[in-house]
Amino acid sequence: MSSDRLTPVQLARQAERRRRFRQPAPYLRLACLVLAALVPLVVPSFQVLDLAAKIAIFAALVASYDVVLGYTGIVSFGHAMFFGFGAYAVALSLGKFGAPTYAHLAAGFLAGVALSATIAVLIGAFSLRVKAIFFAMITLAFAEFALILAVQLTHITGGEDGLSPTLPGIFAVSYNGGRLGGIPVTGRLVTYYFILAICLVLFLVMARFIHSPLGRTLQAIRDNELRAEALGFRTFVFQIASSSFGSVVATVLGGCYVMWVRYANPESVLGIHVMLDLLLMVIIGGIGTLYGSIIGATFLLTAQTLLPHVRTLAASVFAGSMIMQRMTERWLLYFGILFILVVFFFPKGVIGTVRDALAKRQATR
Amino acid sequence: MRRAAPILVAAALFLLPLAFMDARTYVTLTVAGLAMGMLIFLVAAGLTLIFGLMDVLNFAHGAVFSWGAYVGFSVALLLNQRWGWATAPSVPLNVLLLAASILAAMVVAVGLGILLERVIVRPVYGRHMFQILITLGATIVIEELIRMIWGPNDQVMPVPLTFQGSWDVADVIVLRFPVVAIVLGVLVYLGITLLLTRTRVGLIVRAGVENGEMIQVLGHNIYRYFTRVFAAGSALAALGGVMWAMFSQSVRPTMGGEQLIFAFIVVIIGGLGSVTGSLLGALIVGLSYNYVAFLVPKAAIGINMAIMVLILLLRPTGLFGAGK
Repeated sequence: MSSDRLTPVQLARQAERRRRFRQPAPYLRLACLVLAALVPLVVPSFQVLDLAAKIAIFAALVASYDVVLGYTGIVSFGHAMFFGFGAYAVALSLGKFGAPTYAHLAAGFLAGVALSATIAVLIGAFSLRVKAIFFAMITLAFAEFALILAVQLTHITGGEDGLSPTLPGIFAVSYNGGRLGGIPVTGRLVTYYFILAICLVLFLVMARFIHSPLGRTLQAIRDNELRAEALGFRTFVFQIASSSFGSVVATVLGGCYVMWVRYANPESVLGIHVMLDLLLMVIIGGIGTLYGSIIGATFLLTAQTLLPHVRTLAASVFAGSMIMQRMTERWLLYFGILFILVVFFFPKGVIGTVRDALAKRQATR
Repeated sequence: MRRAAPILVAAALFLLPLAFMDARTYVTLTVAGLAMGMLIFLVAAGLTLIFGLMDVLNFAHGAVFSWGAYVGFSVALLLNQRWGWATAPSVPLNVLLLAASILAAMVVAVGLGILLERVIVRPVYGRHMFQILITLGATIVIEELIRMIWGPNDQVMPVPLTFQGSWDVADVIVLRFPVVAIVLGVLVYLGITLLLTRTRVGLIVRAGVENGEMIQVLGHNIYRYFTRVFAAGSALAALGGVMWAMFSQSVRPTMGGEQLIFAFIVVIIGGLGSVTGSLLGALIVGLSYNYVAFLVPKAAIGINMAIMVLILLLRPTGLFGAGK
C-alpha cells in the first residue's frame, strides 16, 4: 500500500512507530523494570525489598488513577476505596474460608473485581449523567461510607484491627524452594516476582487502553467535552468505562498489596491518607503521563520511609523545643505545601515538564 | 393537585417514623434532627453559593469550619478561665460568651476566606480539576496547622450554663442548645434570603449565579463579588463550626472533613447554587439521620447516601437545581 492512500491518523502512527526506538523513554522504562527485578538479587535487605514491592504496587495504582484523572479528566476520591475493596476481598477470601488455597486467592481477586466493577458503574451512572464534578463529591461520600462500614462490621472485617491472612503454597512465609544460583528462594521472593509481573502486565494493559481508540476518545472528552458530544460520542458512557477500568485495576492492586503486607485494616487500605498519597504521587509524577507514576511513587514512598529517621534526628537537634517538635511531627503539613506548590508551578509534574522541555528543544533545533 | 403531591409525600415521610416510636421520642429526635440540619445548612449554604457563582468546588470549606470551631473554642476557654462566663449562672454573660466566640471565629474565617480565595483559588479559575486539587492541598495544610497549634487530640468545649440541660415542655424533654441552633439557623436563612432578594449586591450575586459572563458584560467586577461571597461563606462555615462544637461539646481537627461530606450530600440533594435547596436538603439529612440512628444505629450514614442516590435518580440536578 502506497503512503498516499493512508489516512492522516495512520501516517501519524507510522511516524510514531519509526520514532519509537530513537527516544530515551522506552529504554528508561525497561531500565526501571530491570532495576526492580534485580533488587532482591543485589540487596538482601528486607526493608529495601519491601520498599521496592510497594513502589511497584503504588506506581501501577497511581497509573490507574492517572487513567481516570489525567486521561479522562474526572476527579475521583474513591480510588483508594476500590484499592481497599481488592485488599479486603482477598484478605477475607483467604482468611475466612478454612485453610487458604490458590483457589481462594483467585476467588478473592475475582470477587473484588466484580464488586468494584459493579459499584464503579453504579456511581458513574448516578453522578456522571449530570456533571463530572458530582463524581468528586459522590466518590468522596462513598469512600467515607466504605471506611465506616469497614470499621463497624467488626465480625466480618475485623474492625480497626483489620485482617491478617496467611497465603497458600509458594506464597507462604514458610515456603522454602531451596537455592537458585546462590539466592535462597523464599515465599517472600516468589511473592515479590509475582507482584512485579502483575504490575508489569497491568502497566501494559493500561498503556494499551489509553492508546486505543477508546482511550483517544477519552482524551478528546477531557479536552473538550462539548465538542466530543457534538461529534456523536455519548460522553458519559465513555467516562463510566474509563472510571470502571481504573477502579478494576486498583482492585487487583489492592489484592496484590494484601499479598505483600499480609495485612489489611481500614486505615492502611481505605483511609483518606491512601487517597492523599495517590494524589500527591500523581501530581508529582505528572497528570496524564502514565509513567510519571513511577517517579511519583518512588519519591513519596522513599520519603516516607526516610521520615522516621529525619524525625529522630530533628528530635535530637531540637530537644526541648516543644514547637519545633510539633513542627517535625506534622510532616503531612509539608506534603500539603509541596502539593500546592507543585500544582501551581509544575502543574505537569516531573515527566510533563521534562517532555515539554524536550519538545521545545526539538522545535528550536 | 400536581403541585400538592410532593408536599403530601414529604409530610407523609416526615411522620413515618412515628409508626416505630412513641411521640415523645419522636419530638426529641425531631428537635435534634432539625438542629443538626440547621448546622449542616450553615456549611452547605456557603458551599453552594461559592459553587453557584464561580463554579468553584471548595474542598477547603470543611477546614475553615474546623478553624472556626477551634477559634471559638479558644475564645470560650479564655473567657471562661479568666472570668468564668460559661459557668456563671447568668444568662447575659452566657449569651455574651457565645456571641464573642462566634464573632471571633467569623472574623478569623473571613480573613482565612479572603486569603484562600486570593492566593489559592484565584490562580486556577475555570479549571475544575486544579481547583479541586488545590483546595484539597489547602485543606491538608489548614488542618495540619490546627494540629500544630492546638494539638491533635479531642478537647472539651465549654458550654455556657444557660444552654446546658433541657426544658420540660408537657412531659417532653427538649434539649436547650438544639433549640438555640434551630433559631440561629432560621435567622441566618432569613438573613441570606433577604440579602439575596432585597439588596443590590444580592441581585448581582443571583444574576451571577444565573449567568456570570453577562454580569461582567454589564460592567460589574464579578471577581470582587466572588471574594465577598467566598468570605461570607467562610464566615458561615465558621459559625457552623462554633455551633457544632457546642452541640457536640468537643472539638477535634477532623470535624470539618466529616461535616464537609454531609454538606456535599446536602448540596447535591438541594441542587448546586440554591440556598433554599440546601436548607431543605440539610433538614432532610439531619432528620433522617436522627430517626434512623435511633431505629437502626448502624444504617445512619447509609440512609443519607440512599436518599442522595434516590434524588439523583429522580431529579439529576437536585431538588432546586438550575440544571445548567
